Order: sequence, then structure tokens, then C-alpha cells
Amino acid sequence: MTAPFLSICGVCKRFGDVAAVDNISLDVDEGEFVTFLGPSGSGKSTALYMIAGFEDPSAGDILLRGASLVPVSPDKRGIGMVFQRYTLFPHLSVADNIGFPLRVRGCARAEITAKVADMLRLVRLEKFAHRMPHKLSGGQQQRVALARALAYDPPLLLMDEPLSALDKKLREEIQFEIKRIHNETGVTILYVTHDQEEALRLSDRVALFNHGAIEQVGSGRDLYERPATRFVADFIGNSSFLRATLERRDGACGRVEFPDGSGLDGVALVGEIAAGAGVAVMLRPDHVHLAPDAEGALGARVVATTYLGDCLHVVAATSWGQTIDARVPLGASDMRLPEVGERIALRCEPSRARAFAGGK
Amino acid sequence: MRPGAAARRNAREFVGVAPALALVALVFVLPVAALLLRSVLEPQPGLQNYAEIFASATYLRVFENTFLVAALVTLVTLSLGFPVAWLMTIASPTWSGLLFAIVVLSMWTNLLTRTYAWMVLLQNTGVINRALLGLGLISQPLPLINNLTGVVIGMTYILLPFMILPLHAAMRDLDPAILRAAALCGATRGQAFRLIFLPLLASGIAAGALMVFVMALGYYITPALLGGAANMMLAELIAQLIQSLLNWGLGAAAAFALLVVTLALYAVQFRAFGFGAMREGR
Amino acid sequence: MLLDYSRLGWLRYALTGVAALVCAYLLAPIAVIVALSFGSSQWLKFPPPGWTLKWYRALLADPDWLTAFLTSLEIAVIVAVLSTGIGLMASFGLTRGSFRGREALRALFLTPMVLPVVIFAVALYGVFLRLHLNGTLVGFVLAHLVVALPFAIIAIGNALERFDVAIEDAAVLCGASRTQARLRVTLPAIRLGLFAAALFSFLASWDEVVVAIFMASPDLQTLPVKIFTSLRQDLSPVIAAVSSCLVVLTALLMGAAALLRRGRPT
Repeated sequence: MTAPFLSICGVCKRFGDVAAVDNISLDVDEGEFVTFLGPSGSGKSTALYMIAGFEDPSAGDILLRGASLVPVSPDKRGIGMVFQRYTLFPHLSVADNIGFPLRVRGCARAEITAKVADMLRLVRLEKFAHRMPHKLSGGQQQRVALARALAYDPPLLLMDEPLSALDKKLREEIQFEIKRIHNETGVTILYVTHDQEEALRLSDRVALFNHGAIEQVGSGRDLYERPATRFVADFIGNSSFLRATLERRDGACGRVEFPDGSGLDGVALVGEIAAGAGVAVMLRPDHVHLAPDAEGALGARVVATTYLGDCLHVVAATSWGQTIDARVPLGASDMRLPEVGERIALRCEPSRARAFAGGK
Repeated sequence: MRPGAAARRNAREFVGVAPALALVALVFVLPVAALLLRSVLEPQPGLQNYAEIFASATYLRVFENTFLVAALVTLVTLSLGFPVAWLMTIASPTWSGLLFAIVVLSMWTNLLTRTYAWMVLLQNTGVINRALLGLGLISQPLPLINNLTGVVIGMTYILLPFMILPLHAAMRDLDPAILRAAALCGATRGQAFRLIFLPLLASGIAAGALMVFVMALGYYITPALLGGAANMMLAELIAQLIQSLLNWGLGAAAAFALLVVTLALYAVQFRAFGFGAMREGR
Repeated sequence: MLLDYSRLGWLRYALTGVAALVCAYLLAPIAVIVALSFGSSQWLKFPPPGWTLKWYRALLADPDWLTAFLTSLEIAVIVAVLSTGIGLMASFGLTRGSFRGREALRALFLTPMVLPVVIFAVALYGVFLRLHLNGTLVGFVLAHLVVALPFAIIAIGNALERFDVAIEDAAVLCGASRTQARLRVTLPAIRLGLFAAALFSFLASWDEVVVAIFMASPDLQTLPVKIFTSLRQDLSPVIAAVSSCLVVLTALLMGAAALLRRGRPT
């Protein structure tokens, strides 16, 4: 079995008493697009900076193609990076910016010109070769930054929230560009963002960070359908958490009972939970439906409704005071919509629910 | 806004400016203009004063010396000030603040106090010579005062803060991420310094260098106290011509020459780097 | 990478070394002077053979020094007040008005700060000779006012630019006249800038030497002039005592300025 392309082994970063990055390990294959996703301060940018070489790990190692990166200074690592802030050299034109890494490597003039032209074609900015950075829009600047980072064919491209300063529509356009460039060049990309939609749209795999540690690594679907921890379930997609008791275990599933007496059979259990223990049951709104009758269903009172065109988003309060979200698809045009204050019965799909240890 | 209101508001704001304008016009512009007029009117109308200044070997030597000292001082302050400004920009806030406090305190300490300090230190029997003699590094006291050395040491001392502060301001405006990007592109520290750092600091360096050069050109006190008769500088010449020799025509001509050179230097900087660069410093 | 302290390698030590040397260069002479003012040697031997307060006693006993000190103080205080007032009015015009030539006017006001002082000193000396204003309080105040005004305009200008005009406009909407709004709303808000302007104007006048040398007469001398004329004669330790007092004063005033800066909401 070959060694992984990029290997992060037990890396920690401590600032005084605080662990910004707490023992993370991850293997990345060549050509993969992996996103570090998580809330602000979760350590994802710090991890990226250690790979780039601007922070030294307090412990652990980072291996690229089997060789440790840690003793190598940033200018010798040959890694490309696009920053959140615009970092084009203001005194150089677009072409000179892109050609800079080749110039410092001592490449021949003709070689530089050819490569710069290639890169401009790649990011579709051929007409901007002689423009100065301050005359470019934000999106254009980041595309030039991307071209500059790829100009020397780096084995690894790091991107630290490169699109967070742009407006939504532009962000989506450039996300599409990034995906296209990834497909065309096949470069391995490590991408940092706090926007889960962006992560799910761009990546092969997502590593979800929380307080310096990786809670789960997997494809978007893995994280959405099989969250490994309560945090993952909460962060990815929408969900409601209801407290319940685990009445009976059947291997990896069990029956949970809510405080009002209703219950669900066949709910997947996450982690070791003993019978009788309190749990938090995760329910996604699209798996919570209006029940035709109250028999065995969860009773709740409607607190708010939001009409979204294709569905109605309902927020209801259970009899024991927690809120539960439901999405009611709007099929027939003469369907009667629940109103605020009304008592409704909700049926949850047990196979899509998951129970985590520790009630709310 | 109603059509007349804007004009009325402008007029009212202009009134506020009037006292300052009157002061500067009457107490500054007019006297300087009068002085320049005297350069071409005394003792007789004509440009003889200028002819005399630029023809005489003595006066020309004063000009030469002034430019030489100003250039030397600018070079030394740049060499010493650049590393200090750099450290001030990247050190931790505590150390950076300490450096800043030392520089600012030095800048605001009385000019005479600072010059006097060097008069004492550079004497033949002063601290420096005493120390060097004591350590056995020299057998005779070094002439450190009343010559070019003393003037350069003293003026560098006085003008260092005026180089450090604009440089620091320019460096602070640089985004460190740009230099990190340069490193990732593969530039060694030397390449990044030469190709990115220095070019981006060009206007800040020019601002500091110009400020120091102009101040050194026109300085009176320190060269008068630390220099000798052989290396008189322009300001002292002007003062002597007017106060001691009562030669208003010649003195005014020398003053006008200094003024023209100063304005020319500012014009060059403005041309090359724009207005913003001139606001560096305070 | 060049702006990351941790990534500089050997450069770190080079920079720190030079900075340490420069700090020593900047501080040592002042420290030596303060030490010498307490030294017993009349010939300024360093390290001093003994310690004494006799130079300070001589300083306080000499009426000439006291007169010079009081003269400087009087002029500096008047200049500080006038400079702040005139600078305040001018700053309003420069930051709020939009008449043509505003930038040129600002540049004009700052010119005395950027041109060699000796030109101004000599020019004013000539004019004041005709008007018999040399050696008079009025003459001194006018001269120093020109030197100090740029500092006031810069300090107040900065404070006004940071102040949101909308607040003043809100006061006008509430019914105040523009002047009332400025007096009761804007002025208190920029008072730190006003203190800074007064402080720097004071220092500019207090420390001013070149113009003062030309303005001075045997009857009216500022402290710097007295120091200068003494220096040309001999290097008595009494001057060291005066200098030490000035250093302490500067340090106190700079401390006050730093406190002002910290009091400002950033």
C-alpha cells in the first residue's frame, strides 16, 4: 500500500494554555479536494497555516509524499496558497504577478511568458495581462492569485476562505471556476471555509472542525446522513433535537420514548448508550411529517409558519416545551395549511433519526 | 439643500479660516516675500548678490558642505533607522511600544539639550575620548567636535526619529500576507526584500529621506554648536551675514537659494509619489 | 514572511542588535547629561567624582535663568491658547468647507513646519526691525504662533475628521444654531484633540530656538536663547541642570500626551 499523498499525523498547536489545534490526523489522496469546515476559531485556518509553514506545530508531523514538511521553510515547500485577503503585489501587473514565482526560480524569459499565458487562459483573464491589481475587482484579484499559486505546478494548493469577502452571486461563480480548475489541473486542494454550502458544493471530502479537533471526515452525504457526533448533526443541515429516554436497545438501534409518552422504534444509536439513559434525538425537518391522526404520533402546537413556495416551514412546540421543525411539502393547491396556535400531530421517520448520548 | 444654502455654508466655513489665513499671510508669507525682494534690491537693484554668492569660492564651499552633510546624515539615518522601524513594526506590542516611546521621547526632547549632550560627550576630554583612551584603543584624543564628524554624529542623533517614524508608518501599512504570499511563491528572504518589500516601501523611504535631507539642509543650531568654522553650513551663513555682517542683500540671496532648493525637492517628491507621501511623519 | 517576527531567522538578531544600539545611542547622551547635572566636577568629568546639588542651587539662585524661564512660560502659554483657538476655527473650515483651494490652503498653513526655520527667522527679523517689534512680547507671540499653528491644525484636524458630522447635524435638527451645536456638542467630543493641540503648541513655542535667537533682546530672552548663548561661552554644569529639568518636563508632557491618546476611543 502506498503512503498517502499528504499525511497530517497527530498535529497540535498550543498558544500558551489554549490548544488551537488539538491532535488532528488526516490523510489526503493526490488530486483530492478536501475542505476544512467549521465555525470561527475552530482551528481550521491554524491547521492550514501549519501546512503552509507560517506556524510551527507544537507536536505531530506533516508529511508530503512521505517527507516531513515541518523543518522546511515556507519558501522551499513549493506549496501554493490563496489567502482570504487580496495579496497580489500592488506594484506589479497581473502578468508580472503570475510570473513572479517563476522569476524567483530563475526561469527563462520565454518560459515565463508561455506559462503566464497558460495561467491566464486557465482563469479566463487573458485580456487583463497588463492591468494593475488595484484596477481589478475582488473576484478578478482572487482569480489572479489562484493563477499565481498554480504557476509553478505545486503539488498542493491551500485556500483560506478565499471567497468570504465577495458577494453571494460572485462567490457562486468563482466556486464554479475553482471546481473547473480542479478538474482541469488535478491539483490536490485543501480548502478552508465556514460556509457549509460551499464545502458541500466543492469538495470530495469534508473535515468538520470543532475547538481544534476534527469531529468527522467524510463526503457531504456521510456527514449529513450519518453524523458521528451531536456537533456534526447540528452544524450540517438543519435539525431539531428532542430529549428522550432510551427504553430498549436492539443492537445498534433502539426504542426512544419522549416525555409525553410517544416514542420511536428503530432509531439509530450513536455511541455506547445504556438502556434507560437520557438521549438527544436528532430529527431533520424534511423527515418530520404531518400525521393524519394523533394515534401514536407526537403532539405539538404550532408556534410559527413560514411560506417558502415549495413547502411550508413549521416551527412547533412540544408538550414538554422543546421546539421541533417540520417541512410540509405543498402539493395540492387547495391543501389546508396549519395555523399558528393550532394543535398538530407529527410523525417522524425513525430510520432517519439518530439518538446521541446525553439529553438536552 | 436649497441653492443659496451651500454657498452660504461655504462662506461661513471660509470665515473660520480667515484668522489663520491672516496670520500666515501677514506674519509668514509677507515677511518671506519681503526678504526675497531685498535680495534683488539691496544694496542696488539687480542680481549682483546671487552672482556674488555663486561666484565666491567661500560661499560655494558652504553650499557644498551643506549638501554633503545633509546627504551623509540622510544616508546614516536611513541605514540606522530602517532596521529600527522594521523591528518596531513586527515586534510584540510591548517591545514595539517601548521602542516607539524611546524614539518619540528623543524627538521631543529639547534640541539644545540634545546638542549640548554631544558637545559634552565629544570633547577631547569628554566621555568618549576618555573611554577610548582608557581602553587603550587610541593614544591621542580623537578630534570629534568642531568638524564634520561631530556635525554628522549630532545631526544624525537629532534627525533619526524623523526617519524612523515615516518608515514605520509605511511598513505598518504593508499587509504581512503579501510577504507571506511572496515566500510561498518561492522567493527567498533576499529576493522578497529586493523585489517586494523595498519597492512597496519606496514612497515611505522617500518621505523619510526627504524630510531628513530638508531638515539637515536648513539646520542652524546643531551645526553651529558642533561644527567648526571650516565646515559652516548654509543656515549659519545666512544668520552670520544678516546678524553679524548686516549684509541683508547677500543674506537674503542665500536664504532664497535655500528656499528654492527646498521647494524643488518637495516638488520632485510630489511628482514622484503624490500628496499622500508628504503627510508622513507626525 | 519578512513581516513575521518568528520567520526571520538570523535577521531577527541583526535587527534586534541594531535597534538596541540605536536605543543606546538615543538614550545614553540624555542619561549622561542628567548624571552630570548631579556630578561635582566643574569640568564635566564622567563618571562624576562625587555627587552634589550645587548646580541646581546655582540655577535657582540666578535671577537671569528664572526670568528666562518665566518669559518662555508666559509666551508658550499665550501661544498655546491662541494657536488652539485659531487652529480650531481654521480646522472647521478645512474639514467642513468645500470652497475651492481648500487643499492648497491646508498646505499653506503647514508650510512653516516644512520649510527651514532660519528663512522664516531672518525674514521676520527684518520686518520686525522696521516695526520695532523685536524684543517685544507681541513680536515673540506672533512669531511663535506661526511656528505652533501647524501642530494645532494637525491635531484638531485629525480629531474633527474622526468626529461624525451627523452628530452635529443632529444637534442642529434639535433646534440649536450651528455655533451652539459646535460649542456644546462638537467641542466636548473633540476635547482630547484640543488638549493635544494646546500641548504641542506649548512645546513648539517652549522649545523654539532659531526664531527666538533673532527676536531676543538683552531684556527679553526665552530659556532656549539663554541656553544657546551660555553654550557658546562655556559648558558649565548649570546648563546640564537646566537640560535635566527640560528633559523631565518633556517626559511629563509626553506622558500626558500618551494618556490623552489612550483616553481616545479608537
